[in-house]
Amino acid sequence: MGPIDSGDTAWLLVSTGLVMLMTPGLALFYGGLVRRKNVLSTMMHSFFLLALVSVTWVLWGYSLAFGPDAGLGLIGRLDWLGLEGVGPQPSATYAPTVPHLAFMAFQMMFAIITPALITGAFAERKRFKAFVLFSVAWSTLVYAPIAHWVWSPDGWLSHLGILDFAGGTVVHLASGVAALVAALMVGRRTGLLEPATEPHDVPMTVLGAGLLWFGWFGFNAGSALGANGVAAVALVTTNTAAAMAALTWVTLSWLHRGSPSVLGAAVGAVAGLVAITPAAGFVTPSGAILIGFGVGIVCYGASLLRLRSRIDDALDVFAVHGVGGAFGALATGVFATVAVNPAGRDGLLNGNAAQLGVQLLGITAVAAYSAAATAVILLLVNLVVRIRVGRDAEEAGLDVAQHGEIAYQA
Amino acid sequence: MTIAALVLFGGLLLAWLLVPAERRQRQSEVPQRITELPAEAAA
Repeated sequence: MGPIDSGDTAWLLVSTGLVMLMTPGLALFYGGLVRRKNVLSTMMHSFFLLALVSVTWVLWGYSLAFGPDAGLGLIGRLDWLGLEGVGPQPSATYAPTVPHLAFMAFQMMFAIITPALITGAFAERKRFKAFVLFSVAWSTLVYAPIAHWVWSPDGWLSHLGILDFAGGTVVHLASGVAALVAALMVGRRTGLLEPATEPHDVPMTVLGAGLLWFGWFGFNAGSALGANGVAAVALVTTNTAAAMAALTWVTLSWLHRGSPSVLGAAVGAVAGLVAITPAAGFVTPSGAILIGFGVGIVCYGASLLRLRSRIDDALDVFAVHGVGGAFGALATGVFATVAVNPAGRDGLLNGNAAQLGVQLLGITAVAAYSAAATAVILLLVNLVVRIRVGRDAEEAGLDVAQHGEIAYQA
Repeated sequence: MTIAALVLFGGLLLAWLLVPAERRQRQSEVPQRITELPAEAAA
């Protein structure tokens, strides 16, 4: 094993901080979208997960996700329980030029934001205690295994050659599908006359989207695990796809509704960031433009379809993260090129049609497992504590009913 | 040390399970804080 590279380590530590900031950014993004009586409870979901998963990841999460394989490439063993054996020396398996602890911390931030993404689906009606139990179980039983499948060199999808640079399947598809299942199982919000509620604070949401965009540079470019050319490619493709998706979404809303939506710019940028996540270190900037354009159209359509359905995925988590994650994973199988990253693979356009099949298999497996496991977890949690607040609490707002606090005094 | 940390976190989980899910007593308190403002203004 080589020595620690100071440049790589510095970039990974900074990236860890960037990704950490995404979770408060998500809290603002979601917080602005809900009604004013639920803004604190919605922000608390993300902020509490920052604390909760930080502890569970150290205790057992990292070992289950990245520990030595327990067999069949499904999950890691508990050899690294409490980070036993994970220290300042590099890990030859994951990141040979940075301290193993730095890699662990970087991955911790991914583990934190993934269950936080789901919370947008059941916003404004989920009991806090049920949310806590669900999050511990989901992080342990859904996130950790899927991360192992895709990112451990012994994972079964990793063996098949799936390309997921920074979590299109592990983070976005898994959370997006879980959000859809949660929205269906928790049920619609009480008394909604329209399929969606008006955001109570659009500037808050735009600020949140800006922080997400900023943090995503760490999310994707940090996933190069080094201060190198692939990191630069990932940063440029990330920015380009976000920009193109925002332009596309705004254009569609302008044509469709007659005005260039500010909220559309924010949501469109997030959709672009989601879609480029699995592809960031494998495609060219031109490929990122096509991916951003495509996901802008696909996710805009998905959000319209959701509005016409009876599904109350309150903040469109499935339409943006589920559909955007799947689209990005497929697009990776189309646009990937070893000219950008020799450690990757070529995609369909570079003569490797089989890669598209691998991506499709990965999407199917992750979506199916996340859906089934999420449903089982919600059923079990509901046996312990009802997952939904009562009608009175919902009408009063979760800020008062669940947390005894209000966001705005006047 | 790891065992102690696990036990500690398990204790937190248990506390979350046992604590009442909602704080019925204080639901009426926060609106009272809001209504205090107009009352002071009227005085």
